[in-house]
Amino acid sequence: MGGPVLFGVRHLSPSAAYCLRQALDAHQPQLVLVEGPSDLNDQMHWLCHPQTQFPAAILAYTKKPPVRTILYPFACYSPEIQAILWAHEHRVECRFMDLPSDVFLALEEGAKETVDAEQEEARESEETGEPEPGENPEPSEPNVQEDTEWVYRQLETMTGEDHDTFWERNFEQIEGWQESSAAFQMFGEQLRETARDHPLRTAETLVREAYMRRVIQKAVESGVPEEKIFCVCGAFHVAGLREGPVMTEEEERTLPRTDSASTLMPYSYYRLSTRSGYGAGNKAPAYFELLWEERNRGDLAGLAGRYLVSLAAAHRKAGNLVSSAEVIEAVRLAGTLCAMRGSRYPCLQDLRDAAVTTMGHGAFSELAVAVAETEIGRRIGTLPEGVSRTSVQEDFYRQIKELRLEKYRTVELQNLDLDLRERLNIKDPATAILDLRRSFFLHRLRVLGISFATLLPSRQEGANWGEYWQLHWTPEVEIEIVESALLGDTIEGAAAFALKERGEKSTSIRDAASIFQDAFLCGMPSAARHALELLQTLSVDAAAISEVAETAQSLSLVVRYGDLRRFDTAPVIPLLRQLYLRACLTMEEACQCDAKTAPVVTAAMDRVNQLPLHHDFLDETPWLELLGRISDRDDLNTRCSGFAMATLLERGKADEELLAREVSRRLSPGVPADLGAGWFEGLASKNRYALIARLSLWQYLDSYLGTLDDKEFRRALVFLRRAFADFTPAEKNDIAENLGEIWGVNSGESAEQVMQELTHEEQETLSGLDEFDFDDI
Amino acid sequence: MAEKNVQRLPAEELFQRELEALIAAEQDAVPTGWRMSPRSVLTYITGGVSVKGVDITPKYMGNRRLVEIAIATLVTDRALLLIGEPGTAKSWLSEHLAAAVNGDSTKVVQGTAGTTEEQIRYSWNYAMLIAKGPSLEAMVKSPIYRAMETGSIARLEEISRCASEVQDALISILSEKRLSVPELGLEVPAEKGFSVIATANTRDKGVNEMSAALKRRFNIVVLPTPSDMETEMEIVRTRVAQLSAGLDLNAKQPDKDTVEKVVTIFRELRSGATLDGKQKLKGTSGVLSTAEAISLLANSMALAGSFGSGEIDGEDLAAALQGAIVKDEEKDKVSWKEYLENVMKKRGSAWLPLYRACRELNP
Repeated sequence: MGGPVLFGVRHLSPSAAYCLRQALDAHQPQLVLVEGPSDLNDQMHWLCHPQTQFPAAILAYTKKPPVRTILYPFACYSPEIQAILWAHEHRVECRFMDLPSDVFLALEEGAKETVDAEQEEARESEETGEPEPGENPEPSEPNVQEDTEWVYRQLETMTGEDHDTFWERNFEQIEGWQESSAAFQMFGEQLRETARDHPLRTAETLVREAYMRRVIQKAVESGVPEEKIFCVCGAFHVAGLREGPVMTEEEERTLPRTDSASTLMPYSYYRLSTRSGYGAGNKAPAYFELLWEERNRGDLAGLAGRYLVSLAAAHRKAGNLVSSAEVIEAVRLAGTLCAMRGSRYPCLQDLRDAAVTTMGHGAFSELAVAVAETEIGRRIGTLPEGVSRTSVQEDFYRQIKELRLEKYRTVELQNLDLDLRERLNIKDPATAILDLRRSFFLHRLRVLGISFATLLPSRQEGANWGEYWQLHWTPEVEIEIVESALLGDTIEGAAAFALKERGEKSTSIRDAASIFQDAFLCGMPSAARHALELLQTLSVDAAAISEVAETAQSLSLVVRYGDLRRFDTAPVIPLLRQLYLRACLTMEEACQCDAKTAPVVTAAMDRVNQLPLHHDFLDETPWLELLGRISDRDDLNTRCSGFAMATLLERGKADEELLAREVSRRLSPGVPADLGAGWFEGLASKNRYALIARLSLWQYLDSYLGTLDDKEFRRALVFLRRAFADFTPAEKNDIAENLGEIWGVNSGESAEQVMQELTHEEQETLSGLDEFDFDDI
Repeated sequence: MAEKNVQRLPAEELFQRELEALIAAEQDAVPTGWRMSPRSVLTYITGGVSVKGVDITPKYMGNRRLVEIAIATLVTDRALLLIGEPGTAKSWLSEHLAAAVNGDSTKVVQGTAGTTEEQIRYSWNYAMLIAKGPSLEAMVKSPIYRAMETGSIARLEEISRCASEVQDALISILSEKRLSVPELGLEVPAEKGFSVIATANTRDKGVNEMSAALKRRFNIVVLPTPSDMETEMEIVRTRVAQLSAGLDLNAKQPDKDTVEKVVTIFRELRSGATLDGKQKLKGTSGVLSTAEAISLLANSMALAGSFGSGEIDGEDLAAALQGAIVKDEEKDKVSWKEYLENVMKKRGSAWLPLYRACRELNP
């Protein structure tokens, strides 16, 4: 035969993994070489560690921003993993043979620059009318074709099936390993011939193959007989490894390199399925694991039954009924479907279609949850303690130790109540504010999207100094921490970077305010300053009143409670002033709105109203004058006017006389129902007790309603129902008493009338109201 | 072949040449009671190839996979239920499936509110019944009965329009594949190859909800409205051509531009948004299915052929559109007017003649 054994595989293919092991048994090699970054050989033994559970991934990343990464995810059915495990079990030497990860990263960087430059050129050539040979119609799309995508798309149009199904139907079901291997190799060769890769991509492939050949050559030179070397590589590369040139030492030395690091990390099936694209992921990991198990059991025909039974079980678990008869029908239907497509056993697509037809009543959405459970699954890999330490992980573990949070690192949900106040009885300054430091830390995790801690809503007691968290450790958390290594070397650094990135993307003051808020909660003054500057810039542009009010409110909170978090609030004050002024200037205009936006405006009004109450440095005179104007004007939305009146009342700036005048004016006969009742709705949404106590108000309302004709009354009813909807029973009772007094009936009787359940007839009448045309309200 | 002057020939006669070519070229195994292999049935339905010099026209354009599932269902002797909006080619597909599998698409029970259990099972010729007493000659067999006897496919249209006791009569037939005639002490077993294709309308949901027991006996395939503009245009064009060939309309086939306009209007009003998704539209009370688009174009061809220039122009189209879209005078008129003003008017000169003609009908 001569030459090393080149075994072409498809990454993440159970059948390839199975055949590979048989091939290894048959060849009994002395050295196994696996396609994978060759600088990561020392990580390999961790992959064989008994405590390692797949899926796991190798992550290599550049240390300097912009961070670039390459990820090699492995599942238990990855051919590469099975090769490594086989070598480990048989005490045969095993090494990675692909380009080192730092070269890879450097190459990609270079490639990107070239592509950018080329796109410029392409754009220019388009202008001159030269047609581009590529099949990419959109110039905005990067011109780099994913390895072999073009061929796959051709296959898809020819077979009418996606290429994963094509592969499964034609390659996963071949019985003997020799036949499979030949088929894979043939596929790889044909792919290589037909693929229309971008020249850059092709160049990269050639460099990689030359390097791999160099590794093989070195192994031969070190004394391993050529035919005892077994190479596991993508089927695509087989031809290149057989014939291509060998990289010289000189060439190897001139390969570009970049400062990079790498780590092993646990991975999850969920992530594996969401990273699409050849080689980087596969869509149904749990299904492929089933396939791998059945393959090892030598019972591929049983796969259909197992998949459909587990799907039915998952569907039942989600609260649906599935009979065994339906499962049987699904198995039969899947068999017929695959026969029509000409494969031996049903593949995933057949199984799923059959299940949808029999169990899902023709609708995929019915089965979606169960399908996700059965095809993707929830498996998360684990690595032995101590492996996979990026600097962020180290920082994380150091901090949870220092902050005494280690006991919360369990799978159980645990609550943690923090008291942010300084403990005056503790001498050590760091310990005295331990809870505050914990809060900073947990908020930073939250900003990074690390799901270790969840913030619970604050409780009444200690609303301003208490913080309530729920802590919960899952393997996913570990993955998230590793991923945040891409943002910085420490938790704080990464959080700052994350906030900065968010800042660059934000376009409204609402976004910017939330970034500022986060930076404040994380205890990162410089990030907060940055966010504040951003806020300042954005607030110059026009913004909706509701946004202005919300932002002002959150700034106000910071100013009030800032020192609790030891935050210097001085730089916030000018901005708060500015926003307050803006609100005073634009509120009146905002009140010219339709009924739909009126609640938004009144909410904003309420927020702004709080500001001068809390801060002496804000002058309340212009605000009160403004409220007076809004309350007086007839051409604004009446609900807003009513609300302004209510606010004035609440602050004691409107006397009885004014109220009486307003009520009689707003609720005088002839005023259309939506205006009158709308005004009342606005008035009634605040300080209700003050309203209830004023008998005269109810008299006016009563007599106003009395003047309405039937049609008008129905309109008014809609508003009034809404206005009274969130009154408490006690409040309703009080109103009833008032009404009783007005109508001269026993207060208990009228209360009974108001509080009693609706009769059937009344229900009917009310549902008649549902057909009421609300369009213009 | 039957007399030439019938208005609409059943599928197996209309496409006799294609069916015969497929049968002659058969290479795969043919299930008992079938005339051709499942794969040939698929070829007949999806078309686009030429067998023995006969071009197979596509009968159902759309998701090929759905057709595969439907055929596979019939192979497993399960009953097939096709569900979809009105005008999504449910009956059309069911007719062609029966035509291809058995060469006979005429064993049909039309489900209505008035359908009785006898129409599913059997009834009696009362004159004969009185004269001879219960006997096989006095019995009037339902299409389903006949299908069971011959091992072929019966079609049940609009199953959800039938009352639930009528639907329930199907359960024992579908699960035991036997029909008992207690009057004659007879048990009729279904021959191999017997199956039922039922259709149901999503718009009728809740009229007579199918029982879980009955649903369980069907494999359900949901037929969607055409997924994209091109498919729908293709469907409309082919069907208009086929339809008008049988109807002597004396008018030219609508050009691509006309079809595109009609399909655009229909798709936009159906989905309640313009094709680019930028503008929301008021929907109409009608379904505006592909089938309606087809008959609309045939309608305007008839107008053009009988009263116009022989070529569809804006006025013919406008009149036909008016009839198809404005079903409910008040509401639809508003939607249609809004569409004319907000969308069509702004589409530029290509749409101008149509806009003017429509505007004239909606002052």
